[in-house]
Amino acid sequence: MKNITTKNKILIIILILVIIAGILVTANIGLNFDLRYEKSQKIELNLGKEFETSDIKNITNEIFPNQEVIIQKVELYKDTVCIIAKEITEEQRNNIVEKVNEKYGTELVAEDTEIFSIPHTRGRDIIKPYITPFVIATVIIIIYMAIRYYKLNSIKVILKTIGISILTQLVLLSIMAIARIPIGRITIPLVIIVYMLTLIGITTRFEKNLDQIKEE
Amino acid sequence: MKKIKIITFILTVVLVTMVAFFGVYIHTQNRMEDKVKGYSYAMDLEGARVIRLKLDSGNRTVIKDAEGKEVQDADNLTDEELTEKGYTKEEQPYNSEDVLNKQNYETSKSIIEKRLKELNVDNYIVKLDETNGDIIVELTDNDDTDFIISSLTPIGKFEIIDSQTQEVLMDNNDIENVNVMYGAGNSTGTTNATSIYLSIEFTKDRTKKLEEISTNYATKEDSDDTTTDQNTESENTTTDETSTENEEEKSKEITMKIDDEEIMTTSFDEPLRTGLLQLTVGQASSDEKALKENVQRASGMAIVLDCGNMPLKYSLEGNEYIFSDITDEQMQIIQYVVLAIIAVALIVLIIRFKTLGILGVFSYIGLASLFLLVIRYANVVLSIEGLFGIGLILILNYILINNLLSKINKQKEEDISEISKDINKKFFIKIIPICITVITFSFINWIPISSFGMVMFWGILLMAIYNFIVTRNILSIKTQR
Repeated sequence: MKNITTKNKILIIILILVIIAGILVTANIGLNFDLRYEKSQKIELNLGKEFETSDIKNITNEIFPNQEVIIQKVELYKDTVCIIAKEITEEQRNNIVEKVNEKYGTELVAEDTEIFSIPHTRGRDIIKPYITPFVIATVIIIIYMAIRYYKLNSIKVILKTIGISILTQLVLLSIMAIARIPIGRITIPLVIIVYMLTLIGITTRFEKNLDQIKEE
Repeated sequence: MKKIKIITFILTVVLVTMVAFFGVYIHTQNRMEDKVKGYSYAMDLEGARVIRLKLDSGNRTVIKDAEGKEVQDADNLTDEELTEKGYTKEEQPYNSEDVLNKQNYETSKSIIEKRLKELNVDNYIVKLDETNGDIIVELTDNDDTDFIISSLTPIGKFEIIDSQTQEVLMDNNDIENVNVMYGAGNSTGTTNATSIYLSIEFTKDRTKKLEEISTNYATKEDSDDTTTDQNTESENTTTDETSTENEEEKSKEITMKIDDEEIMTTSFDEPLRTGLLQLTVGQASSDEKALKENVQRASGMAIVLDCGNMPLKYSLEGNEYIFSDITDEQMQIIQYVVLAIIAVALIVLIIRFKTLGILGVFSYIGLASLFLLVIRYANVVLSIEGLFGIGLILILNYILINNLLSKINKQKEEDISEISKDINKKFFIKIIPICITVITFSFINWIPISSFGMVMFWGILLMAIYNFIVTRNILSIKTQR
């Protein structure tokens, strides 16, 4: 502990507090999942002609104010629109159909438009495919680190590598939990980028230490 | 000479940048066509095939005898014939109330995931509605997608039964694994024909049982309509071809069923002692298309049998291609934001290092443009992770160029080649763990991960080669006295 400066101590305390806060938020209100991974409902409207997503977006903004809505084009001819929202009531569906009919001159019947339920995607299903690659890469990296930096004490190097990698990921996830940043499509890329930057940080530090030992 | 070299370099960078960002348009059939290869996108950026599997609410007709035992092969009997024989017809739901529970929904979902994995599907999402058992599968759309979808709904129930007594002799629980094998064809008389076999390997403790069955159901010598091939494989024999006179002497036969559908009725030429049962799929052929179809059919069957049987029967309710909600406009906005950040960062380089900075900037732009061309021609599939990979490469290259220029600026009198060598060496040593991760990710059969791996792989490789050859040389020219 003698090498830890006051600045570092403060940093460690802040990080621990962030992680604790993240754990508490996750335990109490859970993570905030993107609509893509949440339980939702969708309707599909066959317009029979190409359309602008922005026009549909204007309609959904009126019907679902301040709500996240996903709009997607369906099938090869892109003449069907798929609207996904957290919940679509019959009234909202009727309004959408009415406004779409007005905008595109279609004669869609609201009652014929079925509201489909989309189940949520489990967090473990999202991360499952990434576990094996991360474990394999980390194990190889740890072996490499232990060999390359054996002069810095392999055990310490291994523990530091694992510890810092886990710590940075926990901090990232805690920040996402506290700031209610939705767990979505950019979460995994962010995790990968943070992992990569952590590795660069760790090796830079070890290289510096190694140079110091060589100089001595 | 120095000026010519620098101008040539700058013009080359401009040319590569134009090609990478704007393309090369050539007049083709009354229109201008971009001859530069486009990007390949993964399902999160392009779109996905979305299928909805619903629990089958239909019924199946079961014919039972007076004792309440299920009677097979009675489908063709008329109602009068059924009454005459004392048989009764019953409607049974495919999914009875007692099997509709969360545990079975979960099992079905895991079997579907297992099948997708065995089918080497490189990107998919499976969602389960725990309230009603509905399953939604999103997967990459390509030539194999329809075949993959067709492999998701079968229950995968496998049975070997006694043709006469209907006694179940073996089922899914006895299977160790199922493979597809190739062998020399013999049934068509065509030379060079290839046969496709479904090789079912039974568990160790059921090997004895298989041997027993193959002995008990052996082909009698005068049973003329049963054929076997060199692989001790049993061929189909149809019972209706058998003449009535030798009915008594005819071999006992087994019937093989998949999902209650009769695959074949056969007897065995010799006892099977290895625990392996090989079945021909389709006819031996030398035609590539026919072989491909047979292989696909056999693979489908193998995977369905290998992954265990589904406790519930699902039917395909919806099957549509849905485009990504990330629109071209949104992609353009992202591009502009990234370009703006890069522009600011490059201006900083120019301000800090003046003329040297300008050359560094051109070198950076040259690499970025070349990198975007390389990932297109290397057939890298871009996912969101891949886009982040591009971003990381641009950051890493900026750090490298910045380190290089800083060092040259500080040690003006030293040899640029030596400085460059030293900076590159230090930099690449620092990113060895990243290289390990990148190589590992590149081999993973999961598009988002492999996309990141492949993008980074080409990026790092290009950075090493380009900076060693181009950047070092151009900076050397500039500092030459």
